[in-house]
Amino acid sequence: MLIDIKDLYKIYNEGQESEVRALDGVSLQIDRGEFVAIVGASGSGKSTMMARIRNREIGFIFQGYNLLQDLDALDNVILPLIYRGTSIFEREELAMAALARVGMDDRARHRPSQMSGGQQQRVAIARAIATHPPIIMADEPTGALDSKTGRHVLGILQQLYREGTTILLITHDDGIAATAPRVVRLSDGKIISDKHQEVDWL
Amino acid sequence: MNLMQAFKMAFKSIASKKMRSFLTMLGIIIGVASVVIMVSVVQGQNKKQMEYLEAMGDNKIQVYASRWYGSSGDISELLYEYCLGMQDLVVGVTPQIEVWQEITIKYGAKTFNTQNWDDWEKRVSLKLGSDQFGVCNNYTLGGGRELSFLDVDKTNRVCVLGGGAKKLLFDFVDPVGETIFINSQPFLVVGWYEPTGVEGMSDMDNVVLLPYTFNRTLNNNQDISQYVVKAKSAAATTMAIAKLKAFLGGFITNGENGNYDVYSNNDWSNQMQEQSLMQSLVLGAIAGISLLVGGIGIMNIMLVTVTERTREIGIRKAIGAERRSIIVQFLIEAAVICGIGGLIGIGLGCMGSLIAGKFLLQGMILWPSSVITIGAFTFSVALGVVFGLYPAIKASSLQPVEALRAE
Repeated sequence: MLIDIKDLYKIYNEGQESEVRALDGVSLQIDRGEFVAIVGASGSGKSTMMARIRNREIGFIFQGYNLLQDLDALDNVILPLIYRGTSIFEREELAMAALARVGMDDRARHRPSQMSGGQQQRVAIARAIATHPPIIMADEPTGALDSKTGRHVLGILQQLYREGTTILLITHDDGIAATAPRVVRLSDGKIISDKHQEVDWL
Repeated sequence: MNLMQAFKMAFKSIASKKMRSFLTMLGIIIGVASVVIMVSVVQGQNKKQMEYLEAMGDNKIQVYASRWYGSSGDISELLYEYCLGMQDLVVGVTPQIEVWQEITIKYGAKTFNTQNWDDWEKRVSLKLGSDQFGVCNNYTLGGGRELSFLDVDKTNRVCVLGGGAKKLLFDFVDPVGETIFINSQPFLVVGWYEPTGVEGMSDMDNVVLLPYTFNRTLNNNQDISQYVVKAKSAAATTMAIAKLKAFLGGFITNGENGNYDVYSNNDWSNQMQEQSLMQSLVLGAIAGISLLVGGIGIMNIMLVTVTERTREIGIRKAIGAERRSIIVQFLIEAAVICGIGGLIGIGLGCMGSLIAGKFLLQGMILWPSSVITIGAFTFSVALGVVFGLYPAIKASSLQPVEALRAE
């Protein structure tokens, strides 16, 4: 068991009239090497849940890319390696390898402002995978992208999954959820369904 | 994350906002520069005064004694005899008179004037003293001989030249045995003193010394009222002052039949040192306040920066930065800003000191001491750390997801 959540609650303004139950007793187990989509409308609690699952072994990918604007692609990807304490002699090599995996190694010296949204998201993925984390958690990674670039980004996640990385994909889009072998549906802070399904890309 | 990397990040962050970083530094730059300049000027001034005092010599007792018209007896002789009586304490005694009348001093085609106030470097003063003038005033004989007791007693037409006067009149020629003309009267040069070597103090070297018995003819017959008594040691100075006061008090009552006063250079130099220390402290405090204001400015900017960079901090934490890394990053940024500010301030301070030395201290080459420069630099970096701490802690305690939602 890689992730084991039991009875997770997150309640705002408890006991008051304005009480909001963002997470209302969520239990979820995820095994090593799974590809799980967590689906729900906005406000269903999926992002709150993601915020609770924090670990240095998780690589994060965000909807808004969240690259540092002052750094170029390579330096952005190097950053988690610095925080992880990777030796200075390996950093650049590892970062370039990660950029190559998302097909961005030729843009290593470009700044985020010089790249398209899809390219920025690919750099963000490179940053998430640079430290080879066992889990990748992606929060609406395609939310700001057109469908073609979105498919490309999903393709990269699927490739990572095939190589053994555990993927947590958080989305509100059923179409994207349909590409995941396991779909967990959240509504009003509760899990309302948890299904495995056949996917065409495996 | 190692320190090297943290410094690199800090420089990158500072370089990406040059204008703001510079404005932030400005407080530190001005603070450090003013500390360096003020302390240097005070130190330079003090050094100059000490050099002057040293050249004049220590353990020097100034005696002022005059009796009003109608009193009889020559104080010079009385004093001379009294000092002979305390040879265990005293090295020498001499009248100390400068002739303030306009007098020309001539050798060959060269003429100098005692009233040439337009050109200090070329003004030669005429002083009157005894055979112990050189000893009392810390002069070193360069050649020839001092005035003798006989010269004084017989009012011989002889003179001794100070180092500056010798150079002006004779250049590098040996003046001993030559004759110079003082107000057209011939005087034989019997000796000369080495220059005292105090910059900008030409009045100690541009001197022609005559036996004090010429006071009658050259100085409008004014009474001799100033003397210098040279004591053997600091302790002897104190004792000699007490004895001299008692002696003079024996026949002068202040305000009734004359005036007298006895004091030493030792008191003067102690006083000057105290005064200089006070000056340094007061100026240092003022400059310290300006540095403090600079430091608060830095804290202010860093706090604004934390708010502005909430997103960046969130991203850093989301991709694995620990609290410690964020604190170190902000602290180093503040310390680097202050450190660079400090370096620029020291640079400006050095230039300012040189300029101040040139214009305020007669062209003295005023170079700030290493203690001041190192101290100012360390202090400004410490200021950055102290005032950067609060913003850094604030930044590090942001929650990453909240931080990312701040957009």
